[in-house]
Amino acid sequence: MELLHNLYIGFGVALSTINLWYAFIGCLLGTLIGVLPGIGPLATIAMLLPVTFTLNPTSALIMLAGIYYGAQYGGSTTAILVNIPGETSSAITVLDGYQMARQGRAGPALGIAALGSFIAGSAATLVIAVAAPPLAEIALKFGPAEYFSLMVLGLVGAVVLAHGSVLKAIAMIILGLLLGLVGTDVNSGVARFSFGVPELTDGLGFVGIAMGMFGYGEIILNLEKGETTEVFTAKVGKLLPSWDEFAYSTPAIIRGTVLGSVLGILPGGGALLASFASYAVEKKFTRDRQKFGEGNIRGVAGPESANNAGAQTSFIPMLTLGIPSNAIMAMMIGAMMIQGIAPGPQVMTEKPQLFWGMIVSMWVGNAMLVILNLPLIGIWIKLLTVPYRILFPSILLFCTIGVYSVQNSSFDSIQTALFGLFGYFCVKTEAEPAPMLLGYILGPLMEENLRRAMLLSRGDPTVFFIRPISSVMLVFAILLLIIIILPNVRKTRDQAFVEED
Amino acid sequence: MQIKNGKDFWSGLMFTGFGVAFFVLSRDYTMGSALRMGPGYFPTVLGALLAILGLMVFARSFKSSVEHPWRIFAFNWKLFLGAVIVGIPAFIWQKWMYANLGQWPVYVVNGIGIVLFFASFGKRSLYQILVITILFGYMLKPAGLVISTILLIFGAAAAGHEFKFKEVAIMAIVLAAVSSAAFVYGLGLPFPVWPELGN
Repeated sequence: MELLHNLYIGFGVALSTINLWYAFIGCLLGTLIGVLPGIGPLATIAMLLPVTFTLNPTSALIMLAGIYYGAQYGGSTTAILVNIPGETSSAITVLDGYQMARQGRAGPALGIAALGSFIAGSAATLVIAVAAPPLAEIALKFGPAEYFSLMVLGLVGAVVLAHGSVLKAIAMIILGLLLGLVGTDVNSGVARFSFGVPELTDGLGFVGIAMGMFGYGEIILNLEKGETTEVFTAKVGKLLPSWDEFAYSTPAIIRGTVLGSVLGILPGGGALLASFASYAVEKKFTRDRQKFGEGNIRGVAGPESANNAGAQTSFIPMLTLGIPSNAIMAMMIGAMMIQGIAPGPQVMTEKPQLFWGMIVSMWVGNAMLVILNLPLIGIWIKLLTVPYRILFPSILLFCTIGVYSVQNSSFDSIQTALFGLFGYFCVKTEAEPAPMLLGYILGPLMEENLRRAMLLSRGDPTVFFIRPISSVMLVFAILLLIIIILPNVRKTRDQAFVEED
Repeated sequence: MQIKNGKDFWSGLMFTGFGVAFFVLSRDYTMGSALRMGPGYFPTVLGALLAILGLMVFARSFKSSVEHPWRIFAFNWKLFLGAVIVGIPAFIWQKWMYANLGQWPVYVVNGIGIVLFFASFGKRSLYQILVITILFGYMLKPAGLVISTILLIFGAAAAGHEFKFKEVAIMAIVLAAVSSAAFVYGLGLPFPVWPELGN
């Protein structure tokens, strides 16, 4: 059994003391930022990227992954107890979770969220372990034309799932692609768009863009909104849900897991989409649906399982194809490249330790998270009482130190501040920043593959439609675009995202 | 013509601006052919595409059914103009200033330009945070981590809604100690902790 052998390698790596430690740190930080509203996994990973230079690649990725799925656990705590989503993917949990807390059932709500997440996380880990190798094998046969079409499909997927205007999302992607081209062109050695600034010949710093657009954008908007101090008084009570509650939630957990696992793999997918879809499905499948929004435990169990499953399976395209499906995966790819690993299907064969170690560590991390979240819930609740006026200067400090330490460059702080302003502008004008980050990561890759494909086909652009895999992907991309422009689909898509606001 | 959707108006302008800028700048690089693409090929195509999309968003803002006010953020034309007036000469004569006047005038002029630019977008919390970030980046090496951290914390806290001097002072000192311990001694990042005096 090759799978068993691979998992054996993975356990060997993931259970080493040092990796256990970094998985723990990642999960702890993930829970922390998940609990705290106003700081998300994107900004945190951006902040920690520089720290990971000093680690070996496996430990670094294990820690960063822990932050992402850890945040899914922590986000539910805030959603249930304070009626604010700690994480965007927990936005839907607020609906029923907070009602449960008001009825004195905060404990079972937290319990089922953690248990559901654990079950979903374990299942999703298995999905990755089973699905990743064959996918990577297919991807190894991809030529430049296939890669180019795959990236087009991925970017179109990101448009479909970005909320707000389709036109603006496409424009943001193209802007991202262009920003990705800043710096020295690999083929000709020409420094493009660098304005004679030596720092720009290496390209715009990934950390600066991510931190500016996501970290600073968030801080500035929070300051503008003003502090909403909520005095916290709810009592948690006993944590474990009763047997009846658990039995009632089980189908929701299973549906959430399946839905999350599938949606996570899709381009543009991930935790957020999974939780929204799961809530909609639960509403359809459950008979006493009038109780939704009034504290139905399935309304917590389903979405919380789905967001965790989605968070994990979104690693599949990143690990096997080297293509990010959402902004967090773009950060992970950034981390890999900083470590000198070229993301792509060859990672699995060339670095099995890293590949399988990371996958197994996700399961280990999920087990840690149950422990972190259930018995230690009191500590997290205490954290919620820390006012934002204390929180944000500290966040800002870690952001600025993080940006500076990437290259010990003062110039990077200007770049970050400019992108902070740009992030603010984008939020104000409802132009989604996430597709831009995807474009930025894919920009140079896309150009490179386009050039190679055209060179191989002797300048014949029909190559993208003649090669079967490539043409299927392009047709999918075009279909997706047509579908989303249809008025009917647009309406439902708008409605799906309304609940979020 | 009346602007119906302020959000589309501004983002349309932004996209068009970036598209045109990338398109024009790409003219400096060789285009090559579809067979052998030069460094100018991909950005030219993308820049043109972006400009077209930007114009579409811009045009839509005049007949949108979704209405947003024109002033979606407190934009100040005068400060923005000031930033342009200071910034463009500063950029053009940067080399000359550097050679004849030394580094400080360059820093001061660029600094004024940047502050004006950030400030033209209104909100004090916005530009104060951004300016303090840049200051931190430039102070870290000469002034050391401790002093830079204290400055950053005070500057950031002053951008918030409530400012309690005692609380901020304690926070600044604690964070200066923590960050020195964690980043310099713990992670071994090459920052000076204190100002380098004498040499």
